[in-house]
Amino acid sequence: MHILLIEPDKLQAWACVRALERAGHTVTHATGAQSAVQLADEHPLDLVILELQLPGHNGVEFLYEFRSYPEWLRIPIVLYTFTPPHELTYAATLQEELGVRQIIYKPSTSLEVLCLRIQKLVSVAP
Amino acid sequence: MNAPQHVTDAIVLTRTDYGEADRILTLLTPTYGKVRLMAKGVRRVRSKLAGSIELFSVTNVTFVKGRGDIGTLVSARLQTYYGRIVQNIDRTMLGYELIKQLHKVTEDELESDYFQLLEQAFIALDDPTISCDLIRVWFSAQLLRLSGHTPNLRTEPDGTKLATTQRYEFSFDDRAFMARPDAPYDADVIKFLRLIFNGNIPHILARVESNAEFVARCQLLVVGLRRATLRE
Repeated sequence: MHILLIEPDKLQAWACVRALERAGHTVTHATGAQSAVQLADEHPLDLVILELQLPGHNGVEFLYEFRSYPEWLRIPIVLYTFTPPHELTYAATLQEELGVRQIIYKPSTSLEVLCLRIQKLVSVAP
Repeated sequence: MNAPQHVTDAIVLTRTDYGEADRILTLLTPTYGKVRLMAKGVRRVRSKLAGSIELFSVTNVTFVKGRGDIGTLVSARLQTYYGRIVQNIDRTMLGYELIKQLHKVTEDELESDYFQLLEQAFIALDDPTISCDLIRVWFSAQLLRLSGHTPNLRTEPDGTKLATTQRYEFSFDDRAFMARPDAPYDADVIKFLRLIFNGNIPHILARVESNAEFVARCQLLVVGLRRATLRE
């Protein structure tokens, strides 16, 4: 599976890419929303993993932009974010309108668990 | 002969895909209402996340009208970008919500008031001292006001003047307050509602003492009234 990982922190991204690759995926890494859209244009994608808190344009802007392209409407998106669940007052909108399949709180989720949850999500995907 | 070019300020309402490389923008303008413009060749060269046609901004655009509904964007120059909105996830989400609300409840032919409303909403969202709840209530009230659906904030349905000593409930059928001893609304809330529906900007409302409490008390009423009244 080809995953687009949008993660501004290079160290976090490096660890995440390694874990996902070890789980058998190929990963393209973007540090911001702008480069993520460009990379999505260049690489066929199966899944997006997104940190909401990005420099410049934030993750919500990326989501609206990404979903405005018909060919990307059905690509599952997982939020893997430092934004605490209680601060995500718009979680329902993110899930219902923007097709976010899972919201995973980064500080309490190990990379192994992230990989497992992605595996599970992909295996039940329609 | 070349088609005449039109120049106007504009706010992006929607951006959709058209073919391999083009995008269709729906713009809100003070002079032409809503206009749909083809932005040619922008997708592969540069995403709309960058450049002059940003969301949460006012852009000066030049366009030519087409034969059908869709014109062509000739150029765009960013005038004001309300960049602090996107520094906060909640404010970004509310920004998208307000754009969507305005787009849904309005026709293509629009008064310039709607452009000013959205610009004013961006100014408020760009100021972290103005609460999201206040902006949400104020925006709903302005949509009602501009569409001629301001509720009666002066008298009861039978014409009796509202009193400062009474408590009131709101009748959605009559779009007016009715006296009832244990009702939720008092004179202070109704006074705050008058301030909102008079078209005061959020920065003025934010100066009202206890505005957060008033917003909390009238939020359900105003947002509910918008939902019940305007087609969404």
